[in-house]
Amino acid sequence: MSYLNYTHLAPELIVAIMGLAVVFFGLFIPTRFKRGLGCISGLALIIAILEILRNGVLWESQRVATYFYDAYTIDSLSQFFKLVFLSVSFIVVIASTRRYKESRYQDEYYGLLLFATLGMMVVASSNDLLTLFIGFELASMSTYALAGFDKTNPKSVEAAMKYYIIGSISSAILLFGFSLLYGATGTTNLEAISAYIAAHGLASTTGTAILVFLVAGFTFKMALVPFHMWAPDTYEGSPTLISALLAAGSKKMGFVAAFKVFIVALIALKLDMQNVFFILAIITMTYGNLVAISQKSIKRMLAYSSVAQAGYISMAFVIMTPLAVGAGILYVLSHAFMKTGAFIAVGAVVYMLTREKKNLPDADHLDNFAGLSKRAPLTAFAMMIFVFALAGIPPTAGFVSKFVLFSSAIHAGYITLVLVAILNSALSLYYYARLVKYMYVLPPAGETLREPRAYLLAMLVAVIVVIAIGVYPAPFLEWAMNAATTMGL
Amino acid sequence: MTLPLISLMILIPLVGAIISFLSRTRNQARIVAIIASIIPLIITIKMYLQVDPSTMWVVESYDWIPQLGITYKLGVDGISMPLILLANIVVPLTILFAWGETKRTSSFYGLLLLEQVGVIGVFSSLDFFLFYIFWEITLVPMYFLISIWGGPRKDYAAIKFFIYTHIASLVMLLAIFALYFIAWAQTGYPSFDIVHLLAQYPSFSPVVKDVIFFALLFGFIVKMPAVPFHTWLPDAHVEAPTAGSVVLAAILLKMGGYGLFRVMMPMLPNTTNTSLVITVVAIIGVVSIVYGAFLALAQKDLKKMVAYSSVSHMGFVTLGFASLVPLSVTGAMYQQFSHGLITCILFMSCGVIQHGAHTRIINDLGGLVQKMPKLTFLMLGGFLASLGLPGMSGFIAEFTVLTGSITTLFIYVMIAVFGGVAVTAAYHLWAIQRAMFGVFNEKLGHIHDLAGYEMLSMAILLLLVIFFGVNPDPVWDFMQAGANTLLAGVHII
Repeated sequence: MSYLNYTHLAPELIVAIMGLAVVFFGLFIPTRFKRGLGCISGLALIIAILEILRNGVLWESQRVATYFYDAYTIDSLSQFFKLVFLSVSFIVVIASTRRYKESRYQDEYYGLLLFATLGMMVVASSNDLLTLFIGFELASMSTYALAGFDKTNPKSVEAAMKYYIIGSISSAILLFGFSLLYGATGTTNLEAISAYIAAHGLASTTGTAILVFLVAGFTFKMALVPFHMWAPDTYEGSPTLISALLAAGSKKMGFVAAFKVFIVALIALKLDMQNVFFILAIITMTYGNLVAISQKSIKRMLAYSSVAQAGYISMAFVIMTPLAVGAGILYVLSHAFMKTGAFIAVGAVVYMLTREKKNLPDADHLDNFAGLSKRAPLTAFAMMIFVFALAGIPPTAGFVSKFVLFSSAIHAGYITLVLVAILNSALSLYYYARLVKYMYVLPPAGETLREPRAYLLAMLVAVIVVIAIGVYPAPFLEWAMNAATTMGL
Repeated sequence: MTLPLISLMILIPLVGAIISFLSRTRNQARIVAIIASIIPLIITIKMYLQVDPSTMWVVESYDWIPQLGITYKLGVDGISMPLILLANIVVPLTILFAWGETKRTSSFYGLLLLEQVGVIGVFSSLDFFLFYIFWEITLVPMYFLISIWGGPRKDYAAIKFFIYTHIASLVMLLAIFALYFIAWAQTGYPSFDIVHLLAQYPSFSPVVKDVIFFALLFGFIVKMPAVPFHTWLPDAHVEAPTAGSVVLAAILLKMGGYGLFRVMMPMLPNTTNTSLVITVVAIIGVVSIVYGAFLALAQKDLKKMVAYSSVSHMGFVTLGFASLVPLSVTGAMYQQFSHGLITCILFMSCGVIQHGAHTRIINDLGGLVQKMPKLTFLMLGGFLASLGLPGMSGFIAEFTVLTGSITTLFIYVMIAVFGGVAVTAAYHLWAIQRAMFGVFNEKLGHIHDLAGYEMLSMAILLLLVIFFGVNPDPVWDFMQAGANTLLAGVHII
């Protein structure tokens, strides 16, 4: 393996260079041309996506390359998650070209968005605790700033503040866990940690302490109960497009980091981990769904639904068979598209309403969705697809992901877990169907709205992927299975 | 290069449905609908002429989700082919009959085409996953057909229909999953292939086997419907629009019977107490026949009477299934086909009367023959066929079921069934005598006879009923081959 061959790093390089370029050239470009920066960012993201699809790493079930003294690896796991992050950012960027058309801070916005994406990509590829942490922080710092991007809106600033404070504390906890792990094993390389523990064992108290700190640190990003409190406030207050990035991108970064650290490095603690996540998964999905029912703000509802979905995905940490982990990873992909799409649809509604009435409070209130099928038929239709996908109705990605995940759980003998999950799915149908009822059955709450094209394009991309995974999941599932295999399960 | 004929049969109505949904004028919608529903009929006839019914043929198999053993596998044999033919005859004729529909026509024809998609899918799927998806697809358009175009109590009827049959399919789904996961644990690899799962079934533990068997049986007999679970049917029928009733009675109910032959028959000999199971199923069949007939006799509403006559007639399918001799099983399959054709005429007649006289209460009608001679002629033909007049297809089916099962059933059961047959004749004749003959009820006012397209549609059906009553061989041979293949694996009697 030649260390001079950096072709596999092309996606990261494209995103990094474009991020720097956007910030730099933004200094000189007049505001009215800044929309072009968004288009260029989108172009860079789509090139990176195509590059990942082209080089075929997704079809390999073994590691393809490592860089920087084993600190950075390229395999189907990393590429799969990069695909998730890039796609989410891409969809968000499409919609943003409309939302921030007139803003003079567009250069900062796109720069931060690209850096956040870069941070997530670094996490996906990291094979070392330090690389992982740096990527984690790069993404977090960028998203803290993005969450408060609507500077004049107090809610947005509050959201950013909460996110920042709780995020920093959890980073500190995470770092503390890393330092304990380093102290106990003498290395920061994930595989070396695993090998050390296999050879020398780990004192049970140290092991427990490490597990507690790492679970607390990671589940903050994954928004599992009881570390989820920031999520609804932040998702509600942030600009809606950034909520999409947080729920679909940033959250998934927590998952890939957890996959890497828990499954690759700490597989020796498998039994403890399974117990911890068994409880976390059940509490998270039940709590998320129960609380989502009573929400009137659609963004908050989606936030709690996202908490619940994180509960389903974390079933993969309980079951830990290759099929289950593959299913979890597929679920990550599906959820990324469903959730981005749903948030963008909400963003479109908020945008259309606030364009008419400036400073409309609670534009994402459920009542504003009444009769949306008459006021904005395309948005309503897309929203219906996303909501049905989240509820797990065929032929959508949500159904396939749930089906594979639950099947793998039954096959591994976790009947209780599956029963809870299925009952939760049934429960969640209530609030998803209620939204569809509002959109399609109730009389319209106002005049017909003009639907913004950029948002429609973003939703179209998400709808196509959601349906494609639902109808023909075989290749996606194979990529996810390859990703699971590379973790050495 | 051979064309994937079955996929085409599913795809063409699907495309037709989409075009129909999007079409802006009534004419465009109905022309698309009739073309898209007739092409599958042509394909079916082409397949009919070139095949050997005893084996599974025209199998199309593609991997779908290989990691979970889910395949897109379609095939037809002697069991499914006649039913596919039936579906492809009924849907175009229904569309023809409903040519004059005026309310939201693009959705109406689109939904009818979607029914065709679902039903053909059910009859041809060889993969349980696919089977279940198509099974559920049939549910949704029918729900909308009832809830949009239905009568006064349409909301109640639609939701009752949906919940009732959906619970049945969920129970069936659980049984399918049980089959799947236990077979997965046994063989070490996942597969939803129906044949594979049925082959694994005998080695399950006894309790599990019975639970799975009865769960599947429940799923199928609710759809048929058989007596304890029949109450959704009259409500759905009474409120459904005529085209909806026709499709529901003529082809959706047949999915239940198809499930009995395709899935339950190979499982039956492997249940722990086979003779008990057979007795239970036979009792369900006999009770359906007799009780359904008496219920029909008591009805005041013509359409409700026809709905209960469906319960009674479908009882012959259950009975023929339970008797497990080739003659009866073939007869039961033939009953499915024949009832599918006859019931269309009956429901269409009810629809025409409702449309013309604005009531279906039998006592409020009377002497309609003076105003509606053409309808009365066709309707009389349908009623005679339904009560089992020799020379019509219903006679052959019921006669063979009874002749075959006389060897396996107790004699007093047979007496009860013959009593049921007598009641069947009674309620048919009595109803038509009161509604169509006698003195004309002047309160009904001016009544139009059949429209041309309605008459064409009903006349074709009546001709088919007579044709298959005189010359059952074209379909019978297929069913016999299918039944022989099925019963070759059954050695208990």
